[in-house]
Amino acid sequence: MLARATSEQGLGRFLELRNIQKWFGGVHALRGIDLTLQLGEAYHLLGENGCGKSTVIKIMSGALEPSAGEIVLDGRTFTALTPIQSLAAGIETVYQDLSLLPNLTVAENVALNEQLVGANGRLARLFDRSRLRQTAERALVTVGLPTDRTFLNTTVSDLPLAARQLVAIARAIATRAKLVIMDEPTTSLTRREVDNLIRVVERLRSENVAVLFVTHKLDECYRIGGHAIVFRDGQCVAQGPIENYSKKQLAELMTGRVIDSERYRTGKPMAAELLNVSRLMAAGVEEVSFGVRQGEILGITGLADSGRNELAMAIAGVEPAGSGTITLEGRDVSIRRPADAIANGIGYVPEDRLAEGLFLDKSIFENEIALIITKLSNALGVVDKEEGRTIAARLSEEMRLNTKDLDLPVGALSGGNQQRVLIGRWLSIAPKLLVLHGPTVGVDVGSKDTIYRAIQSLAEAGMGLIIVSDDLPELLQNADRILVMNNGRVVAEFDAEQATEDQLYRAMLTSKMETVQ
Amino acid sequence: MSASRIEELQESTSETRSFSLGDLIRRRPETITLMLLVAICVIVTAINPGFLQPSTLIDIGRASVVMGLFALGVFIILAAGGIDVSFTAIAAFTMYSLTVLVLNHFPATPIVVILVAAILGGTLLGVINGLLVYHLKVPSLIVTIGTQYLFRGFLLSFIGTVWIMSLPPQMGAFGRMPLFQFESANGAVVTLPFYFLILPIAALVTWWILNRTLMGRAIFAVGGNANIASRLGYNLRTVQIFLFGYAGALAGLAGIIHVCANRQANPFDLVGTEINVIAAVVLGGARITGGTGTVLGTLLGVLLIVVINSVLVMVGIPSTWQRLVVGIFILLAAAFFVTRQRKK
Repeated sequence: MLARATSEQGLGRFLELRNIQKWFGGVHALRGIDLTLQLGEAYHLLGENGCGKSTVIKIMSGALEPSAGEIVLDGRTFTALTPIQSLAAGIETVYQDLSLLPNLTVAENVALNEQLVGANGRLARLFDRSRLRQTAERALVTVGLPTDRTFLNTTVSDLPLAARQLVAIARAIATRAKLVIMDEPTTSLTRREVDNLIRVVERLRSENVAVLFVTHKLDECYRIGGHAIVFRDGQCVAQGPIENYSKKQLAELMTGRVIDSERYRTGKPMAAELLNVSRLMAAGVEEVSFGVRQGEILGITGLADSGRNELAMAIAGVEPAGSGTITLEGRDVSIRRPADAIANGIGYVPEDRLAEGLFLDKSIFENEIALIITKLSNALGVVDKEEGRTIAARLSEEMRLNTKDLDLPVGALSGGNQQRVLIGRWLSIAPKLLVLHGPTVGVDVGSKDTIYRAIQSLAEAGMGLIIVSDDLPELLQNADRILVMNNGRVVAEFDAEQATEDQLYRAMLTSKMETVQ
Repeated sequence: MSASRIEELQESTSETRSFSLGDLIRRRPETITLMLLVAICVIVTAINPGFLQPSTLIDIGRASVVMGLFALGVFIILAAGGIDVSFTAIAAFTMYSLTVLVLNHFPATPIVVILVAAILGGTLLGVINGLLVYHLKVPSLIVTIGTQYLFRGFLLSFIGTVWIMSLPPQMGAFGRMPLFQFESANGAVVTLPFYFLILPIAALVTWWILNRTLMGRAIFAVGGNANIASRLGYNLRTVQIFLFGYAGALAGLAGIIHVCANRQANPFDLVGTEINVIAAVVLGGARITGGTGTVLGTLLGVLLIVVINSVLVMVGIPSTWQRLVVGIFILLAAAFFVTRQRKK
């Protein structure tokens, strides 16, 4: 199982981790990691959420100190790195949260660090504006962003997410980096931008730069090629050329159990119609009509600007519809705000669970009972905590949360578990219809499996579900029918059991041209 | 986020050069401050043309110095996402102890040395703030509320509570030293004091630090997001110590100028005016959550408050209305900035 990287004594050996251990309080997050990264190579660090990937990255970039072990960087041995040491040695990191400074300009975000590192972190230095602009221009061209003065002086908080992701990548390659670490760099990029990123990576490798990816998107790993490094429970369980492993093997290595990528959907929808949407209009949504039966799982997909997000938010009352009717169990309902949706038994799990869904510093218990807090409280407003705990424990059980400690803050959980808490919360009001928006974005293989099983058992119980997602395998595996949206309209409908990814893609893209013509 | 968005971005960046007032205000919120200031001046002049007399303008200039120095300190801390309410106590502490020291022990100290000592004393107290903020990991508001009480308590308990009416002569002389003088229409001599120069110099230095040094960029970076800034290699400890030290230096300087200008040293002075200063900075377009603002805006905010304070009487509005007006302006400006940001 343990395949070592080839040519261990290469001249290009850049960074070596030797028996790195990391404890967080009583948690043994890294249990002796040995890793060698060579210049000019691409590496894919794979593993479930919470397996120690982020911790290793933070140790490489100097954001965390290891508890034991040593780091050999460019021939020098360290027990820990500081951010400046790591940057000065040429390790650049594109963090998952992008780590951009929202109030600074594009140029400053891209190129200021070059000067900071050049000054070795000392701040009593002049700041060179013309060099800032030159460095920024060079890096922005590489990632395919504009380089005119207006763009350079745009504040990052005014940019769309995809552009921010590219700005973060531009910062990483603005300096003479030797190792670029990218933590899930493609989550908000479209196919074309991903293609561009892959070209950037190829260029970096040809310039003898090492690239380390952390990602859940295995298809992209295969396209880029290079070495796979698989982590599980703080240990490195496999290393070797990625083409030696199949997707299934990698998934099994990551989870330590057999994952079948078969169709999850086993049940059949019932006859009774649950939801009927007729001629719905909203910002970006043009006269959409469809129905959902009880126990049915409806998938909705499309490009990011196809209107699929707006449709989901209109049904959930987040951004109410302009016109059209929504009928639930034969009754016309008016949904002007989220509270109306909840009152009618429509639950909504938003795409951005961190910003829109969860109270991160509150406990699992408090998050789970957030929707039923008025039901749990008596006339004086005192909450029946015992009852609440019983309910929260049942929901956590149902969603197979991997902790029994309901007092743990939700922010301390992995992405998959957070998502399960969020879905569990909706179960507390037993909704008739649950709208799931990107239910497994940023969630690892093992958690996906649990979430899919939970979705299926909800449908078994008669709940109607709408999954809005751009993860096509997810829809194909889970849904009964899939609607494809384009330019605000539903342009195609597929039977999920028959359809292929390719068909869906084609509907998403080509029908766009038809509607334009 | 699709590819088309990025393309739009590429296209739109070339178009947005065209002038738009809304855009200007969003980028430079201090435009609003300037517009308010001009509006007030026009209205006041229309009602009472006496407002535009040089003597009034010079009064305004003189009254802005202490507040302006304080405001620069508050602004630089606000830019880094912190807040300081102890600067008045630092000023009171330095000005009073220094006056006592000069009066009782070193009567021959030249004024330059006194000014430098005030700056150093203020820096020292500011650095204490900075160290506490960094090492206690407590929000700077709490730390500086604590140190405000501490500095002021120490001053009143150990250094003195006596109102000093007769200053050391060199300090009084500095307060009176003219930058230029002329006779106004009614025959009275109008003086713009020399110490007025200190405000534009301090403003220039602050501007230079913020815009031309790495420290300046680090301050805004920390104000944008302290965690990210530290991940990118900015040393938070250095930044915090510098910030509070610099604000302390400005406060010490403001304190001693306050004494020289008023020709008396009252240990009970200054503390209590923090909110006025913070209001000026916020009116100048700096966001209370940090990471934004300009030196020019801060100065405009100070001018706005000083003008409101001094001109209401000229148009026959009772001076008790001053707070009312300032309060309304703050709410209006805040509401305006917020809606601008939402619209994007």
